[in-house]
Parts: sequence; C-alpha cells; structure tokens
Amino acid sequence: MGNILASEFLKLRRKMVWFLVVIGPTGVIALQALNYGLRFDFLMKQYASDPWGYLMINVSNLLVPALLMGMTIISSMIASLEHQTNAWKQTVALPVGRTRLYLGKFGVTALLLLGSTTLAMVGTILLGLLLGHELEALPWKSLLIAMYGSFLSALPYLAVQVWLSVAISNQAVPLTIGIAGLVVSIFVLNGPSSLDWLPWKWPFLVRAEPMYSMVAGLLTGAVFYLLGTIHFVRKDVG
Amino acid sequence: MVPIIRSEWLKLRRSKVWLLLFFSPLLAGLIGATASMTPDVDPWVFLQATVFYTHALLFLPLLTGVFSAFVCRYEHIHGGWKQLLAMPVHRSGVYLVKLLAVMGLLAVVQLLTVVSLLAAGMIEGVETPFPWGAVLLHVAAGWAACLPLAALQLAVSTAWASFAAPLSVNVIFTLPNMLVANSNDYGPFYPWAQPVLAMLPDRLGAGTFLVPTDTLLAVVLGSFAVFLAGGLLYFTRRTI
Repeated sequence: MGNILASEFLKLRRKMVWFLVVIGPTGVIALQALNYGLRFDFLMKQYASDPWGYLMINVSNLLVPALLMGMTIISSMIASLEHQTNAWKQTVALPVGRTRLYLGKFGVTALLLLGSTTLAMVGTILLGLLLGHELEALPWKSLLIAMYGSFLSALPYLAVQVWLSVAISNQAVPLTIGIAGLVVSIFVLNGPSSLDWLPWKWPFLVRAEPMYSMVAGLLTGAVFYLLGTIHFVRKDVG
Repeated sequence: MVPIIRSEWLKLRRSKVWLLLFFSPLLAGLIGATASMTPDVDPWVFLQATVFYTHALLFLPLLTGVFSAFVCRYEHIHGGWKQLLAMPVHRSGVYLVKLLAVMGLLAVVQLLTVVSLLAAGMIEGVETPFPWGAVLLHVAAGWAACLPLAALQLAVSTAWASFAAPLSVNVIFTLPNMLVANSNDYGPFYPWAQPVLAMLPDRLGAGTFLVPTDTLLAVVLGSFAVFLAGGLLYFTRRTI
C-alpha cells in the first residue's frame, strides 16, 4: 500500500493539485474573514450568544461546496495523470493488482482532501482567535464534526467522482456530474427532513445529525468504492 | 471564418457535449416543479426566481468553463493545435470561432432553461399567461453576462491541456458567488455574479433588472474586453 501511494504522490510532484489543496481552505477562510471584517460590529452583536458556533456554520456553509468541488476536480486530475498520457495500459501492466491501483487512486485523493480539511480547521480556529473569540469556549467536538464529519459524509460523492473520472476518459462528464451534485446539495440544504436520505444532503446535515450522516456516508461511500473497484478490475483499459 | 466554423461544428457534432446541455435545465426545472409556491407573489416571477437562481448561481458560470475546456479538448488530446494552425487560417479567427462555439452551446442551454421554466409552471398548475418578453430578456441578459467568463475560460483552456486545471480557475472565482451574489454593495461589480443577477426578476415589475442596467452593462462589457484582449494576445503569440 505504501508503495502505491508513494508512486501516486511521485506523479503529483510539481502539479497544480498542491496549489488547490492549499487555496481551497485558504480561500474559504479569507472570504469569511472578509465577510466578518466588512460588518464586524453587526455580526458580533448578532452572534454574541454563540460566536464559535456561528463562525463554524459560516465557514462550513462555504467549506462544504469547496470540498465537493475539490473532490470533483482532484479526482479528475488524479485520473487524468493516466488519461492524458495514455498510460492506463502501462500502469495496469505493472505487477500490481488492479484492486490496489484503484485503492491508490482513491487513497491519494482522500488524503489530499483530508489535508485541506485539516487546513480549514486550523484556519477556522485562527480566524476565531483573530475575531477575539476565547479559546476556552471553543466547542472542539462540534468543530471536529463540522470539519471531518463533513468529509466523512461526503465520501459517497468522492467515491462516485473517483469512479467516473477513472472510467470515462472525457473528463467533461465527471466534472459536469460533480457540478450537478454540488447544485443539488446546495438546494436540498434547507429542504425538509423527508429528504434526509439524499446523500447530497449529508455533508450539511452532519452538523445537526452527526451520527446518522457520518455512518450513512461511510457505508454508502464503501458501496460506491466497491462498485468502482469491481468495474475497474473488469474494465478493458487503453 | 466559415470553414473554421464548419470544422468546429464537425468536432462537436457527435461529441458528448449534447448530453451536458441537459443537466442544468433539468435540475433547475425539477427544483422549480417541486417548490412550494408562495401565494402573495406572482407565480411566474416566483418560479422564474427559483428556476433561474438554481441555474445561474453556480451551474451556468461553471458550465461556461466546462464548455470552454470542451471545445479545446480535441486539439489538446490529438496534437491538433499544430495541425489546425498549420492550415491557412488566422489564429484570431480560430480563437473567435471557439468563443462562438462556447456561446452557441450556452445559448442552447439558456433556451432549454426557458422550456424547463415553462414545464415547471405547467406542473405547478400556473394559469396566468407566460411572460415571454420578461423571461426572454432575462435569459438573453444572463447569456450575455457569460461572455466575459467564456473569454477568460477560453484563455486558460487554450493554455492548459488538462481539463481540470482551467475548471479549477473557474471554481475558485465562482464559489464566492454564494456570498457575493447576496451582497448589494459588492455583487454588481463581481463578473462571476453577473449571470445570476441578470437572470433574476425584479419583484416590482416585469422587464427590469435587479441591478441598475448601466452598471450591469459596464461590468459585463468591461471585463469582457479585458479578458478577450488578454486571451487573444496570448493565443496569437504563444508557441504551440
């Protein structure tokens, strides 16, 4: 497993992926900093009852769309490493099982996005301190849920994007499907609870229903990951 | 010019791009058809706000990027730039026709969105006549507001062979829409928020825009001129 990931990371050297991993969370925090900065007194008064809580809601309302788009774009970039150079035949011909190859593609994407999520969490804490919120009052559990919980609940989305990006060489298709997913998730965000079964809702729902969203995300994500693996193992490449 | 247009048409004709035209209108129509109507607002204005907002807040600007990358894909994957530009054609002609292709695809998407608005209204059982004039005006304005975005995306799409790289530029500028489009002070000056601002109806009456028309025109045309000039300068001078 280590070898596979090392080889994937090697292929990513000097690629734009790293820029995206950093710019995503930085952009989200910077936008919220701007949002708070422009109407500081008004927001502070309005959020006085629970400053950290509102900060987390504000950050995560932007972070989740950024995370979903990150999943879409980075999956596409990781798969394009092979698509663009017509290297699938060569990669598959290596003495490595296809199951492990697919795990490598999924793993590297997931690790990169976990990195972004961690950056976003650090950024949220820094922004909160900068705004004068007290560190003692920081609700760690809710923060971890808002950040890593969103990531876990978005795993079905990631699994589908990795699958489509690897399976279809024309990247316009997975990218458009990813964008459609983002639009759905934003519009069911405030929808009735009868829509809670929709996977697109889980990354936002996780703040209200953490256990349900995370478990459902993990399980559904695993199902799509398995389907993707089975398809990749049987697929005729090249 | 005509031969270049025909060559672009040939490349697009049997591609998967036709599939991509339907996503946003279908989704926006579905959301319109299932929305619960508010009784005190004119039903068409309400539906137009719902369907067009869904369509234009993120999907339309992002789709502009997808189409721009799409029209360059054929050249990028088959070493086609060298071949195409070795023909007796002007580089600026090739570039402008690609822009035309993107805008053409967007025009189809806009028309399909009108159809989905109409369908959503029929499903919701709206009985008042369809406000053709206002709807078409907003659809055309939203389409025109995509011009600067298409010009910028075409520039980055010709520069990078990867599909995801130009799209990430697009996403980086479009996601802030979620905050910027709601801001009365900054929204009218942010080019990526113009498609949605141009497509939203004014609640007071048909045929007017949410933002002052002259600001809308100045921002759209200004950014279009800058992006188009930059892209053309780059494309006509670069080594292929």
